[in-house]
Amino acid sequence: MINDYIHAGIALLIFPGGLFALATGLLFKGMDRIAVARLQRRVGPPVLQPVFDIIKLSTKEILIPESANDAIFKLAPMMGLMGSLVCAALVPIAGVWKGIPGAGDIFVLLYLFSLPALAFMFGGSSSSSPFGAIGFSREMVIMFAYEIPLLATLLAVAVRADWSLSLDGIIAYQTANGPFLLDPVMIPAFLAYLLFIPGTMGAGLFDIPEAEEEVIEGPVLEYSGPLLALFNLMSAVKLMVVLSLGVALFFPLLLPGGIWVNLPFHLVKCLVLMLTAVSLFRASTGRLRIDQAFIFFLKYPSSLAYVSLLGAFLLR
Amino acid sequence: MATYSIPVGPLHVALEEPMYFRVDIEGETVKGLEISAGHVHRGMESLALQRNYFQNITLTERLCSLCSNSHPCTYCMAVENVAGIDIPERARYLRVMADEIKRLASNLFNVGIMAHTIGFNSLFMHVMEIREQAQDIKEGVYGNRMDLAANCIGGVKYDLDDGIESFLRTQLEEMKRPLDEIYQIYAKDPLITARTKGIGILPKKDAVRLGVVGPVARGSGIAYDVRDKAPYSAYDQLSFTVQTEEAADVRSRALVRLREAMDAISLMEQCLERMPKGPTVPDCLPEIPPGQSVARSEAPRGELIYYLKSDGTDRPQRLKWRVPTYMNWEALHAMMHNCKISDIPLIINSIDPCISCTER
Repeated sequence: MINDYIHAGIALLIFPGGLFALATGLLFKGMDRIAVARLQRRVGPPVLQPVFDIIKLSTKEILIPESANDAIFKLAPMMGLMGSLVCAALVPIAGVWKGIPGAGDIFVLLYLFSLPALAFMFGGSSSSSPFGAIGFSREMVIMFAYEIPLLATLLAVAVRADWSLSLDGIIAYQTANGPFLLDPVMIPAFLAYLLFIPGTMGAGLFDIPEAEEEVIEGPVLEYSGPLLALFNLMSAVKLMVVLSLGVALFFPLLLPGGIWVNLPFHLVKCLVLMLTAVSLFRASTGRLRIDQAFIFFLKYPSSLAYVSLLGAFLLR
Repeated sequence: MATYSIPVGPLHVALEEPMYFRVDIEGETVKGLEISAGHVHRGMESLALQRNYFQNITLTERLCSLCSNSHPCTYCMAVENVAGIDIPERARYLRVMADEIKRLASNLFNVGIMAHTIGFNSLFMHVMEIREQAQDIKEGVYGNRMDLAANCIGGVKYDLDDGIESFLRTQLEEMKRPLDEIYQIYAKDPLITARTKGIGILPKKDAVRLGVVGPVARGSGIAYDVRDKAPYSAYDQLSFTVQTEEAADVRSRALVRLREAMDAISLMEQCLERMPKGPTVPDCLPEIPPGQSVARSEAPRGELIYYLKSDGTDRPQRLKWRVPTYMNWEALHAMMHNCKISDIPLIINSIDPCISCTER
């Protein structure tokens, strides 16, 4: 019992959540910025720029608008960061980490996963800025839009993995039967997940709640200093969670050689996924209107995910 | 649904220059708009009365960076009209060249910013990369990237030798293919079309009522171009089409600007072909007699009018100009009626507002 608590504590604070998720998330953010810069024929910032930003922001004064709701304004980024760190601790890494025993359920993850988006909404609405309010409503709409294909994708994976709702079970099924990425029935669900990633990360077509040119960063407009740093950290950890989850759901391929081979291999898989679903997507598209994005999610990723779900049911 | 107001500007990511819009919003829909100006008023009309005719060429060139050739050129035309000066034939062509290279760079800048406004930064970078070639031309021929200092009263202050002419021909030829490519992107890309088609509509009837000019008018199907209606410099010797679009939306204005950028290359090539040899400036400094005159030209944003009154001294008694943005910004009320918040920056950018010219 005590061992389980220690296990969970390490998962939350050090690996794969905590320090590991923060460090890799920031590093991946830096690599994303360089990748986009290279695609646009720019040099781009140093790979550690997100870390430098965090250091600089944490030395700044916290400014809170007079008319803002003080407590919610401060709590929102903390809640978002904690939510994403817990998610990071729950996602298993094939061949490296089996997840916290009894806690790796995909539905738990689905709930926890909405915390960063909720943090954005609370932060935006408590800031008393009209741009925050617009950002709030946009974040809510886009969350509803991407949660439909996400739920269908998770269900399709669970059904295909012999009704396994635990991520560890899904990985075990794929280790025995081959990754879902190579399974024709699951390819539409993988494509839906590829579109969900920029949706939740607010990249490319879906950079709508924070659209700089329209609502001047929306929910985070009034945030500065350490509180803004917390939002940046939340976003970095969230990136790692969606990437790790994508790898766990579709490509948890193992290499012989234990943890020191499989951990770098996992990071490489995450990197490839990020370069495809975030960097390339961000560099090759612009932003849709919120109504267009909503319809887009209902039309394409949802249909793709439902095709896989239906296929998984029929071939069960 | 509750209505609330949001400020757009005077400092805003999507605005190149300071302008203030108070937008009344209901949900995501714009229900009211109030435009305020006056953030960059510098008293330039008054300054112009304190300087002599030659100093005013430099002053008018500094009104704005993007139309920095149209102002001194039209000013010089107004002075030449008062003084009855006929400029040398070669200078007429050289004025067209300076006008067109600025139009090319200005129009590309505008469509580039349009891509940036919808978050398509790779396209923005691509357009700016092509525009950079136009900047190279300006730097190579005139020595400056923005203010060309090309005009003087009675002619132009620069000439082309064989080396520069061949540099120009090569650069212009190299720009044709990428320009054609980006035109196809703006015309056919599903994302650009989804964001710009049917947005910010200014029906032809409203365009006539509001007296809009330049690509905004031509985007609403009005074939009005000063270069065609009242040719100046050497435009009467050159062939070009007045570009129009009928859809009257943001996309139409962008397509008109891109086609005019392509035409600018053709016009410069025609100038290189047809330009006669000869002087580019008059032999002596002209006398400016008492009198008054009006000159007009087609700046990248539309019709630019200069009025000059001279009392026979070395300074103007009155110098006034009407810039295209002054005519176009009232149309924003019509364009933004019931639009979405996301479309505000796109629509503002579609009139290519030049605030520093308008407020001077």
